[in-house]
Parts: sequence; structure tokens; C-alpha cells
Amino acid sequence: MRLDLDGLDVFFPYDFMYPEQYDYMLELKRSLDAKGHCLLEMPTGTGKTVCLISLITSYQFAHPEVGKLIYCTRTVPEMMKCIEELKRVIGYRKDQLGPEGEKVLALCLSSRRNLCIHERVIEESDREAVDGACRDMTASWVRKKAEAGGGGELCEFFEGYSANGSDAAMPNGIYSLDDLKEFGKEKGWCPYFLARHIINHANVLVYNYQYMLDPKVAGMVSRELEAESVVVFDEAHNIDNVCTEALSVDLDKRSLDAASRCLGKISSKVAEMKRTDQARLNAEYQRLVSGLADSGLGRASGGVAGSAAGAGGAAAAGGGGGGAAGAGASAGSGGGATEVAAAADAIPANPALPADILQEAVPGNIRRAEHFVSFMRKVVEHFKTRVRVQSVESETPLAFVHRMQQVTALERKPLKFAYSRLNSLLRTLEVTGLDDFRPLVDVADFATLVGTYTEGFAVVIEPTGSVVPGVYEPVMRLACLDASLAIRPVFERFASVVITSGTLSPLDLYPKLLGFSPVVRTALSMSTVRKCICPLVVTRGSDQLPMSTKFDQRDDPSVVRNYGALMIELAAIVPDGVVCFFTSYSYMEMIVSKWDELGVLKRVLEKKLIFIETKDVVETTLALDNFKRACDCGRGAIFLSVARGKVAEGIDFDRHYGRAVVMFGVPFQYTLSHVLRARLEYLRSTFQIREGDFLTFDAIRQCAQCIGRVIRSKTDYGLVILADSRYNRHDKRSKLPGWVLQFLDETHLNMSADNAAAMARMFLKDMAQPLDPLRLKGTMLDTKKVAARNREKTGKEQRNASELNPSAAAAAGGGGAVDGMEIE
Amino acid sequence: MDAMDDHDDNDGAGYAWEKGFERTWEGVEEDEHGNIKTREEGQRRNRRVRRRVGGESIKRGMIRYLYLAIDLSKTMADGDMRPSRLAVTLRIVQDFVTNYFDQNPLSQLGILVTREGRAEKITELSGNPKAHMEALTKDSDTKGEASLQNLLEMACTSLRAVPEYGNREVVVIYSSLSTCDPGDIHETIAKLKTHKVRASVVGLGAEMFVLRRLTEETSGDYSIAGDENHYRESLMAQCTPPPTPPGREGAMFADLVRMGFPAETQDVFPSLGYSGNRQELSVSGYSCPRCKTKTSELPSECVICALPLVSSPHLARSYHHLFPVPQFDEIPAAAPAAAAAAASAGSAGGMGSGAGAGRATEEESASSSYCAGCLRDLSGLPRYRCPECRSAFCLDCDMYVHDSLHNCPGCC
Ligand code: SF4
Ligand SMILES: [Zn+2]
Ligand SMILES: [Zn+2]
Ligand SMILES: [Zn+2]
Repeated sequence: MRLDLDGLDVFFPYDFMYPEQYDYMLELKRSLDAKGHCLLEMPTGTGKTVCLISLITSYQFAHPEVGKLIYCTRTVPEMMKCIEELKRVIGYRKDQLGPEGEKVLALCLSSRRNLCIHERVIEESDREAVDGACRDMTASWVRKKAEAGGGGELCEFFEGYSANGSDAAMPNGIYSLDDLKEFGKEKGWCPYFLARHIINHANVLVYNYQYMLDPKVAGMVSRELEAESVVVFDEAHNIDNVCTEALSVDLDKRSLDAASRCLGKISSKVAEMKRTDQARLNAEYQRLVSGLADSGLGRASGGVAGSAAGAGGAAAAGGGGGGAAGAGASAGSGGGATEVAAAADAIPANPALPADILQEAVPGNIRRAEHFVSFMRKVVEHFKTRVRVQSVESETPLAFVHRMQQVTALERKPLKFAYSRLNSLLRTLEVTGLDDFRPLVDVADFATLVGTYTEGFAVVIEPTGSVVPGVYEPVMRLACLDASLAIRPVFERFASVVITSGTLSPLDLYPKLLGFSPVVRTALSMSTVRKCICPLVVTRGSDQLPMSTKFDQRDDPSVVRNYGALMIELAAIVPDGVVCFFTSYSYMEMIVSKWDELGVLKRVLEKKLIFIETKDVVETTLALDNFKRACDCGRGAIFLSVARGKVAEGIDFDRHYGRAVVMFGVPFQYTLSHVLRARLEYLRSTFQIREGDFLTFDAIRQCAQCIGRVIRSKTDYGLVILADSRYNRHDKRSKLPGWVLQFLDETHLNMSADNAAAMARMFLKDMAQPLDPLRLKGTMLDTKKVAARNREKTGKEQRNASELNPSAAAAAGGGGAVDGMEIE
Repeated sequence: MDAMDDHDDNDGAGYAWEKGFERTWEGVEEDEHGNIKTREEGQRRNRRVRRRVGGESIKRGMIRYLYLAIDLSKTMADGDMRPSRLAVTLRIVQDFVTNYFDQNPLSQLGILVTREGRAEKITELSGNPKAHMEALTKDSDTKGEASLQNLLEMACTSLRAVPEYGNREVVVIYSSLSTCDPGDIHETIAKLKTHKVRASVVGLGAEMFVLRRLTEETSGDYSIAGDENHYRESLMAQCTPPPTPPGREGAMFADLVRMGFPAETQDVFPSLGYSGNRQELSVSGYSCPRCKTKTSELPSECVICALPLVSSPHLARSYHHLFPVPQFDEIPAAAPAAAAAAASAGSAGGMGSGAGAGRATEEESASSSYCAGCLRDLSGLPRYRCPECRSAFCLDCDMYVHDSLHNCPGCC
């Protein structure tokens, strides 16, 4: 359908649209017109992605001055989905406009692990290993040596790319990860480097949040993107956590020991290089003296605006020390080649935000390699003494650095440079396996952040780690408390930032947390053909005793028993798949073992198989697989998982995989956590967000997230059991997103388990009746109805305008009359 | 362990008042005009819609080989239908069997059940309505879990042997919400598909994915019974022969089918004759034209020589599937004022020219406010008009004409 939306020619690839899709696009357009940010909530399963893409690409098409569409997703499957919709939209535009409509270059960007096509390298297990293996073949010094006849394996695809690909323009088209690989194989060019190079020419870019939010990665990738671009964060309900995590570092005893070993390795390397290639070390020293440092180039163009104009190829490829070393190594070759080499060497840029990086040369006392090594050794040793605590310590970065200065007599300033200085050194030493030095890099990361920031962070040292409670396993954590820090540069730099998800309620909290003021903030409800979600608030068992995971009640045998009875009941009346969410792993383990004692599990197993999420990703994936198989073959299954776990965030239980979702308890965060305490404290003092408000908000959004797992389209249906007496309270309940509340009538509140079961049976029977396709169509808008809606909207606005004036006039007149009377 | 089992038994025989309340008032809704309509009416209109999906001139097979496969697992003892699912099921199956042979006199039927994870054959394919019901009522204990795969496998093996010209069908009555299978059920579904067995399911309780899949793959129907009436309707719908699957038309005409038209006999003294598989004494009966065995009911199958025995009216009746009554057009209920206006406009036209008058009468009959079937007042109700003779009917008469009468009273 091609529609005229408030003056914009929108290409929408389907013949029908839901009313909320129309509204969504209208709101989106308003914020683009105003060149402002927006916050939009739209229920899952209503085609949010297609609206975003269809509107923004149409907008780009009509207003070529708008830069790129940068679409940030959380996972690779989401990326795929986005590309799929994009292909549909552009395909439709081509049908409408001919080849003119097809002129778009869109691509996905991901790590080497997802893009590499080198047979041996992709065999590597994890991301870091792939990166390392690739660097072994593509680092500038490796290639130089090979060129000089020194042997060593090179990657043919990288060579192919650097020979031709870096200058060649990519033909227009929409490239998913697979398409990129396909294209790369065909041409013999490395898809990873090609994609990295091409982003500046693309109209649409799809990549992970990290590429935008994590300063280490963003500095490398997103620096050059034009400010007129539109940035979309999809599924953004947890964006504040992504932001804080991007600036947080954990160090434990083991990693600190490993860091010491790294330093040993480095110092022997330094000694060796001193013997064999003193010149190289000197060259580095000279660069640092003249302020050209690793960070030198990075900083020259490091302003938020990214004024890379004069910085040349090396800086364009962006990466801290990579730029410098690469430029040095391949000095003399053409600009293009320089860029290529630099891109290959690029390793993460500075962990601090660009605006906070000092625009100075590296201080003198860490310029020499051996001085820097001994500096780092002192830092590591100090961290080691700090981490050995018997009770929890929590302090500000300022206090932490102060104490460090007193104990070690180290200065504050070199700390800020630790990360970039280390990068420069690793490059000089021609280290490719960065993986091996990860612990040391983490320490440098920690040092840089703790030296740079005094506000919005906390250093928390805990004697027991998170993995196994009770075991002495001290962790030192630099926790970012302020989500707005990491995202501020994005808001400041780009014209429009769209934050959207199925669960953003309550809408006024996000602007506070992220520190921005949206021009549009709207939550859209769901237009329905039938009541496809049936939320039931179950507060009591059949014996009328309350059910809750409240701290003082959770271990109560009656609660455990009643939850068990509910489970048995549901296993009997719900067909195929059921998903249950518990508030934490430990609570789930406790309940499952008690259920085993009570014989609950045995009775559930008569009806359905049971699968459990564990902290082990592989195990969980396997369990999920088997769960789905059991649902497919009619045996039926229950998946027990944890709110905030991997499953709750990313796995869909659509159709028969999730006919019911059960929330056992309200998923509050573990409030005794010191990091959380510090964050709450910070939120209260800085943003005036009350502790309780934040905790409730956070718990309910997790809950809504879990609910959203089971409804992925309008023809789908699902039962939602909220099993905790606290859900009945208005302050909790009312924070659920509108598309859940609209189905939550009075009669669904405060139910006992047996009432709920009766209701559930009826719901499932009703939903099993065939859905009349005519009625489904009836709720949707076709071209005609869209036109009518347009007219209605504009009509209303005009009327409003004309109403305003006469009424104002009347008011004035009335006032005059009164005055007059008084005078009389 | 023992305690556990005890509990289970209680579960099975739970009291009706423990099973949650019946919310009859929730079945009542108001329509746009404030008229009260019940959920039931909505369901019937749905059914009309469903029937429409079937389309008009479809080839239907007159000779069917159908297995009725009944889930006799523990869930059949549930009390969500009064007095129990099983009792209701037996009642409805009884009617189904009678109705099936009534409408498909040339067809055969057999009964399978599943319980304790196994499948059992209660009766072989045959044309004796009585024999089936006798066997089923004798052996209808509910026990253990259901196994859909075993059930389908058994049906498939048995149906593979039937002649090519017949329709192979399974109608499953499924009460459980899960199945305990020895292997991959999707292979069994594929097997049914290759052997051209059509599987339809009437489910109780809720929708199950495998059943949906099964019916989609084999182009059968899947309905979930909302209540007893809907249950009955859903099962009875299976009495109408399904459309012949594409690719099988050729086979339809390949064979001639041998059948007997027995003469009615009246004895002076009661003599032994077959009724189902049992012998009983009766005065009147029919004697098989081939072996002269006396049978007391038609349609059936000669117990001795297995000749299908029918009477000619039976044969005639099964023609209706081949010449169905056309679908009636639905005309939504006009608001009373509009209807009146239309009527007055019609009469105004009637005073004009002759040609106009002709049209006006037709118009008038269309908007005339009485049902051509039962003479009910139709004002304010939706009406259904025969496209051939343009008589209007009420919903009830529409259903009756299409489901039972198979003739439009207006046309003939
Ligand atoms: S250059 Fe590209 S293809 Fe070659 S190893 Fe690295 S990522 Fe893989
Ligand atoms: Zn005979
Ligand atoms: Zn009538
Ligand atoms: Zn007629």
C-alpha cells in the first residue's frame, strides 16, 4: 500500500495495516520532522519493525538530506528480521517506482565471527579466538614480513580486498550477513573488512547496540557517521542496563593473577625487542613524545562531532593506536592502502567517552616501555591487595584513586592513559593474540575509567562472587551507575534517536534515566480482533492462602505447595507448551527440589515433560531444543526459566510453544546487591527517582518482557498467569504496559487458583474456535480507510485551530462583559 | 506411591460442583442494536461461515471407509461435560453412527480406541450400525494415557487394504491434551498423507498443535468442541462426505460396486434373523438377494456373504451430496426504519408502470418480513435468500435446508 501520511509518500509493503501501525508511523514522522528524539511503545506482534523501516526509508527517499538509517538491534536473529523487512519494503518500492526505487545500499555489520569466510578461522570457537586468528594473518607487520619473503600465512580474502575491494564501490543492494559472505566469496574479498569500509557509503546500517554505545567499539566504527542520521534502538527496554554495562569492568582475583603473568610476558618481549629491534621501540617513544600517540590521532578527531576532515585515511579507519602504528608501518603506500592496513590493526579504542578523553600527550613517566610495564605492575599489585577483602567495601572512584595514590605514590594522570598506552605497546610488540592479554587489558580499562570519572561510578569490592554463593571469591567491580553517560554522545550527535520496544511503560522514567527530552513519547495500545491475551492475577491457592514470593513468605510451605498445585492444574488444562518464570535461579532451584519432595514433579510429568534453564548456555540451548520438539510432537512440555535470564530476553515462545506463561512471583532485583544499592542511591540523589519506584518499574518491565515472549502475532493467543498477591496492588499492576492492561478486567483480578483454572479452560476453548478471516480484515486499514483516517486527522486539527480562536475570543468577550458589569 | 494413586482416582471421579462454576450468563452478549444474542447463536453463524468455505460444486465420494478413533484415556472421565465426557461421547457417537449410515448407505465404518498408550480395534470395517454400538458400549473403560500415533498407525494399516474407489478416512475424537508415542508422529502423519487417508479431529478442551498439523496435512477438519451442542454438530458434520481429494477422481469411476436390494419379508411366525451380529426372532425383515439370510435392518451388510444391503431410497438420498443446495446469500438485518422505507418505496413503485410493478414484487418478496420456511417474522433478523428462487429464510430454516432436507422448498 502506498499511502500519503501527512504529506509524506510512504511505501508500505502490505495491503493492510493495523490502526496502531498507522499511528506509530505518524508519531515517528512527527519526531523526524521536528528533528528530535522519540520514545515509542508498541505491543509485540503488531509489526513494529516494518513500520520503522517503511517510514524511515520513505522519509530518506523524500528528504535526501537525511543521512543514514542506523538500526541497532540486540541479537543476530533480530538483525536478520530487520533485513528481511527491509528487503520487502524496498522490493515494494521498486514495484511502484521501477529501478529508481531500488537505489539503496543497506548492510549488516557484525563481528568477524559472523562474517569471516576463511575456512580455518571460522572453525574457532569464540569471538576473541576468531579475531586473534584473523589478526595473525592480517596485521600490518605480518603482511610486511610476508611481503618481504619472510613467510607466514596470509588470508587470501584480505589480500583480495586490500588489492581491489577498498576502492571499489559496492553495488546497491541489501546485504544480510549471509549475502555479504556470499558477495565476499564471489569476489574473493573479505566481507568483514569490506563491510567496515562500506558503512560510510551505506543508506541503511544494521548492527548491534555495542557498535553505538560501547565507546571502545563505537570509537572504531561509528565515529564517521553523519549527524543527520536517524538512529533506532529496537527492543530498547533494557537500554539503560546496556549503557551502564558498557562502562563497567569486573576484576577478580584470578584475572588479576593472569594480568601479572601477562606483564611478565610483556616485559620479556620488551627485553627481547630491545636486543633485536631497538629502533622500533625508539620510534614509538618518539611518537609518544611528539604527542602523536596512539591516542594522539584518535583524539585529534576524537571530538563528538568527529571532524575527521584532515585526519586522513589512518584516522578515518579510526582506531586509537591502530591508526598510528598502521600509518607508520605502511608509510609510503597510497592512502587507500593505509586505510586498509589501519583497519586490520584496529583494536578497540578508548573505553572512556570521546568527550572525556584528555587532549594531551601521554605523560612522560609512562612513555618508555619498561617504565610503563613497571607502572602497570604497581597498579596490578595494588589492585590485588585491594581485592582481598573480608567484608564488602563500596567507595567512590575519587576515594579509590586517593587511597591508591597514598599507598603506591602513583599519580592520577597516567592512569587515564593506561588503556591507550597499553594498546600502543601491544602494537609495537607486534602482538596479534590479544586474547592472551585480555586480563591486562581489563586492568588498563579499569584504571582508565577510574582515573577519568569521578561521578556516576562506584567501586564495589565483594568477598563472595556471584557464581557460587558462600565461596570466597573476591571481585572488584567498577560499576557505572549512570546510564545517561554512555548514551549522551549519541543523543547529542544525531538528529533523531528513536527508542522503541513493546515494553517501555511507564514512559516518563526513560527520559530521566537516559537524560534526554523526547519530542514524542507515546504508548500505543493493541487493536484486537479477539481477546488474544488472557492475563489472570492469581493471589491465592485453592485453600485461600495467599501466594507470594515476598521475602517473608517465599519459604512458607503453603506457598510452595500452592504454587505446585497451580503448576499441576495448568499442566493438565493447557495444551502443548507452557513457560514459567521464577524470580531467580536460587529460588527456582529451591522450589524445584521442594516440588520433587512433595511429588509435584511426578504429577506434572504425567502430563508434560519438564525442562530447566541453567546458567550454562549450551545446556540451555539443548533444553530449549528438546522443549520445542516435545511441543511439536504433542507430548507437551514445561520450560522453567528465570526472569532476566537469557531465555526471558531473547527466546520467543510463539504459537504452541507458549500457550501459557506463568510468573511465579514479582521479579524484583536482588536488593542486597551492593552495586544495585549504589545505583539506587545515585538515582535518588541525582535524578530524584525514588528507590521503590525504580525497583517496581524494573520488576514490572521484566515481567512484561516475559509476557511478551508468548504473543508474537495477532493470530496467536496465550494465557498469562501472574501468580503473586502483589500483582493485585494497583501501584504494581498499573505499571504494566497498556497492551496487557487492556485485557486485564476487574474479573481477572484477585483470583484463587481454581477460579483461574476455570477461566483458563474457557479461554483456551474460545481461542481454539476458528478466527473468521473477514473479521480480522475488518480491524485492519486498507487504502480507503487510511485515506479516511487522514482526512479525519487533518479535519480535526483544523477544527481544533478554529475552535481555539473563537473560544478565546469568547472568553475575552465574556471577561469584558463581566468587567463592564462591574463597572456599571 | 500408594497415596499418589489414591489421589489420582479421586481426581478422575471428582464431583461436579468441584469443577468450577458454569457461567451461563457469560454466554449472553448484546449486539449493536441492543438485542440479546447468545453465544450459541454466534456459534451457529460461525458454522454457516465454515460451511461456506467448502464451496459449491465439489466432487464428493459416495463410498467411504471411515474409522472412528476414540480417545479413551483417563481424561475422558472429566466432568466438564455433564455427566462426563465419556457419557456424552457415547451418546453422540451413537447418533453419529446412525446418521452416518443414513447419509452414506454405501459406506463402511469401524471403531478404534486408544488407552494406556496403546491402540485397540473395537470393530472391523463393516456396514452394520448396530454391531458397532454394541461393541463400543460393551468395552468403554477409560484408562491411562492416549497414544495418537498408535491410533493413527492402526487406522492407516487397516485402511491401506480397502478398495481404491473408496474414500479413506479417520475421524478422531480426542480428549487428551498430549500424546504418548513410541516414535515420531510426524512420520505417521506423512504416511497417512501418502496413503491418502483423510484425518479429521474433534477435540475436547483446547487446541493441540499435532492435531492441527495432522488435519492440515491430510486436509481434514479440526474443531474443538465448546460445549455439548457444538460437540454434536462438529461430529455430525463428518457425516457429509468430504470432497474427493485431487488426483483420486480417476479411481472413482474405475470399479463397479456390487450391492444388494433385498426384498422385505413378512413371516407368519417370528423367525431368526440378524440384527447387527446377533440373531434375534422377528416377524419382518429383509432377505439377502444372494444368500437369503434374513436381516432385520437396512442399510447394513449381510453377515454371511458381506454384500452391502441398501434400499433404493437410501441410494437416492446419497445423491444429494452430488447436487447440493446452493448457498443462500446472507442479508444483514436492516434497521427497522430502513426496512419500512424500502417497503414503502416498493409499494410506491408498484403503483407505477407494469414493468416496475414486476420488479417491485420481487423486491417486496425479498424484503417480505416472513420466512418462506416457517413463516416466522423476519423483521430485525438477518435473512438468507436462495439465489435461484429468491425466497428468504431464517437462520434455522437455512440450516435445516442445507443440513437435513437437501432441497430448497422454494425451488420445488
Ligand atoms: S580477513 Fe576476513 S576472511 Fe580473512 S580471516 Fe580475517 S575475517 Fe576471515
Ligand atoms: Zn448375503
Ligand atoms: Zn424459518
Ligand atoms: Zn430456492
